[in-house]
Amino acid sequence: MAKDARDSWGSPMEFVLACVSYAVGLGNVWRFPYLCQMHGGGGFLIPYLIMLVLEGVPLFYLELAIGQKMRLGSIGAWTAISPYLGGVGLASVVTSLYLCLYYNIINAWSFWYLFHSFQSVLPWAVCPANSNLTGPLEECEKATPTQYFFYRETLNISPSIEENGGLHMGQALCFLLAWVITYLFIVRGIKSTGKVVYFTATFPYLVMLIYLIRGMTLHGALNGVKYMFTPKMEELANPTTWINAATQIFFSLGLGFGSLIAFASYNQYHNNFERQAIIVSFINSGTSIFSAIVTFSIYGFKATVNYETCLERTRILLLNTFSLPEANITIDNIFEMIEKLNSTYPVQFAELKLEDCSLEKELSTAVEGAGLAFIVYSEAIKNMPLSQLWSVLYFFMLLLLGMGSMLGNITAIITPLRDFKVVARISDEVFNGGVCLLCLLLGLGFTTTSGNYWFTMFNDYGATFSLLFVVLIEVIAVSYIYGIRRFEKDIEDMLGHRPNWYWKIMWAGVSPLLLICLFVFYVVNYIQGGTPTYQAWNKDLGKSEQTEYPVFGQAFIGLLLVSSVSCIPLTALYVFCQRKKHAQQHKQQLTVNTVAA
Amino acid sequence: MFYKIVLFLCLPSVLAEQLCKPNAPDGLKVRLSIKTALDSEAYEWNRNEKFLFQATIAFAMSQYTGQEFKVSNILVCDETPRVSFWFVVTSPANLSQLMSKGVVELAVRKFRNRINNAFLLSDETLEFVGVLPTLASPVEPATPPWLIVFGVMMSLVSAGIVFVLVSTVVQNKRKRKQKGDDQDDDEETRVKTVENGCDGVYNTSFSEDEPNTRM
Repeated sequence: MAKDARDSWGSPMEFVLACVSYAVGLGNVWRFPYLCQMHGGGGFLIPYLIMLVLEGVPLFYLELAIGQKMRLGSIGAWTAISPYLGGVGLASVVTSLYLCLYYNIINAWSFWYLFHSFQSVLPWAVCPANSNLTGPLEECEKATPTQYFFYRETLNISPSIEENGGLHMGQALCFLLAWVITYLFIVRGIKSTGKVVYFTATFPYLVMLIYLIRGMTLHGALNGVKYMFTPKMEELANPTTWINAATQIFFSLGLGFGSLIAFASYNQYHNNFERQAIIVSFINSGTSIFSAIVTFSIYGFKATVNYETCLERTRILLLNTFSLPEANITIDNIFEMIEKLNSTYPVQFAELKLEDCSLEKELSTAVEGAGLAFIVYSEAIKNMPLSQLWSVLYFFMLLLLGMGSMLGNITAIITPLRDFKVVARISDEVFNGGVCLLCLLLGLGFTTTSGNYWFTMFNDYGATFSLLFVVLIEVIAVSYIYGIRRFEKDIEDMLGHRPNWYWKIMWAGVSPLLLICLFVFYVVNYIQGGTPTYQAWNKDLGKSEQTEYPVFGQAFIGLLLVSSVSCIPLTALYVFCQRKKHAQQHKQQLTVNTVAA
Repeated sequence: MFYKIVLFLCLPSVLAEQLCKPNAPDGLKVRLSIKTALDSEAYEWNRNEKFLFQATIAFAMSQYTGQEFKVSNILVCDETPRVSFWFVVTSPANLSQLMSKGVVELAVRKFRNRINNAFLLSDETLEFVGVLPTLASPVEPATPPWLIVFGVMMSLVSAGIVFVLVSTVVQNKRKRKQKGDDQDDDEETRVKTVENGCDGVYNTSFSEDEPNTRM
């Protein structure tokens, strides 16, 4: 009886949705709008789209082709391409493991915020009262209620990475829930994943559409959108813009983790992945732009609210100082009144320290990452009417985006490991459960009071450098070691036609060059940056300060970087030694036989 | 004689003016932002509103100290168009002696809510400058609401997992039973063939023996 046939997707649609669900993740929501803002608004779309075409789509295509052809996870696929390159797959698995460890903590935070949205007053809308009920808590007053809720109530963050309290029980519970749900989604491998992605890939778009309509109708939203889309063309001359565009495309598509290879390995042999690669890449970029519009309308609203609150404070200050009736100064005539009062009472006016209220300044405060998603957005949501509803919708969307990406991450670990005969004997459910349990236990460290600092370390150093290296080796291996001709023939075998000249030029020339540039830039930046630093929350001042990593922290960063990258040369060396040993043994056997015969 | 009567009558008001002045050591400054709080339903600040203010302070002082304060014990001065003024509280026993600022503050803090509500204002819009607000004590429910939602979600997901695992086990059992049945059927047909084969020729192609020669 033949070996059990490989699992496969229920339909090509499931595969496309799985890729979309994996690629469209939190980075589209919290990194792209930030880059747009930093690099000249609408003008950033030019380098972004150019990089998509030069680097994103060809590399995406490459990974899908490998997966579909070899029908194995990343370790098996790269070993098939060349036995010395099995380390590339191993490096992908190690990087995916690091990612799995820390990514689910974001889902835990989303759960925490989601559960706390079911209250009459959102807990991040007001500061809690201090012990003698005379005013808000000191830490909350110095910072803002949303920052306080994130740093104190959600994370209970310690002052630095060296100091550790215990586990934050609420966080640990949410983290457990996140892993339990992940297990539910992958319990039967892609048979269950394929059903789940129908929901995780499509529902976020519905929420984003609702948010777009709500966002655009908010007071002051157009300020934000106008600000974002006003292109500042001089930014295009800055090389950082192009590098950030390339990096964003690269990480947004999730290349190098092995998830795409894993997903494609379950395809039918003649599936038309060429069309799917183009579709998914463009959907991913389109989603980034769409979410940027939503984010900027929310930004505009928040900036306008803050600006008007600032003006209101100035108005009250002027009324109180000069004892004028309230009707004299309104928001409309406040600037004229400031002039008038300045000329009438110059001495008193000079003693006043008026705040500098500026809409521009509010709009230009750019935030990215967890800070954007959990602090800035929740600040905007608390000012909307019916804030509980919007909060629930928003955090539910974040959850779906995060969970969708987790599916890809965990599949990238499970699929290559299941290719080994030793593992294939264990049943699906037990093995998947084991992997989830292991990641859960190791990841509990991120729910401690210093966990956020470790999270930032993993986020900044765990995947970025190693992925660039892995994908660079991947594209060089396919183009030059495996050979473009052989690769072409494989694709012809699967699709029925050869890839046209455009793809070949990209794989053999442009993409490797771009990747080498990115890689060099990263290394130079890392070396030039000096000691790596992180943002530590100072509860007495109520804000984050840049702090250097202690020695053990820097050692750990080095370990993270080296552990995944070194898989490649170490595996090559190991295979080389094994082959030499076998060649020697074979030679000895032949000599024995000739002697015996 | 006449002048003495006039002087005697004018004395209280003169005294009052001297007792109540801006930055008096025992005085408190009050600021109302009626338009900001009530917008279109804002009322005008007039003599009657001032009377209400004096009455509420007298109420607070009487409740707090136990002594009987009248409206005339509350002296208001330095009114501005901002709607801000200073006030002092005289002792009911001795009209020329002021109640200490500390006592007035504590009385105001204790009944702040009642005073605010009389004017339809809040702690921010009816300011007693220098007096700390009294915030409502936080309402702590027995179970935090988030834990309830967490419990619901966790039970649903665990039920889902149990369901999937159980259905997998059931499916496997069914498959194994089916395979067992198939093997039984094969054995039966083999037995039948052997029985029938006594009459006919034994056809080796139907036997399930292992291949005899191993290359």
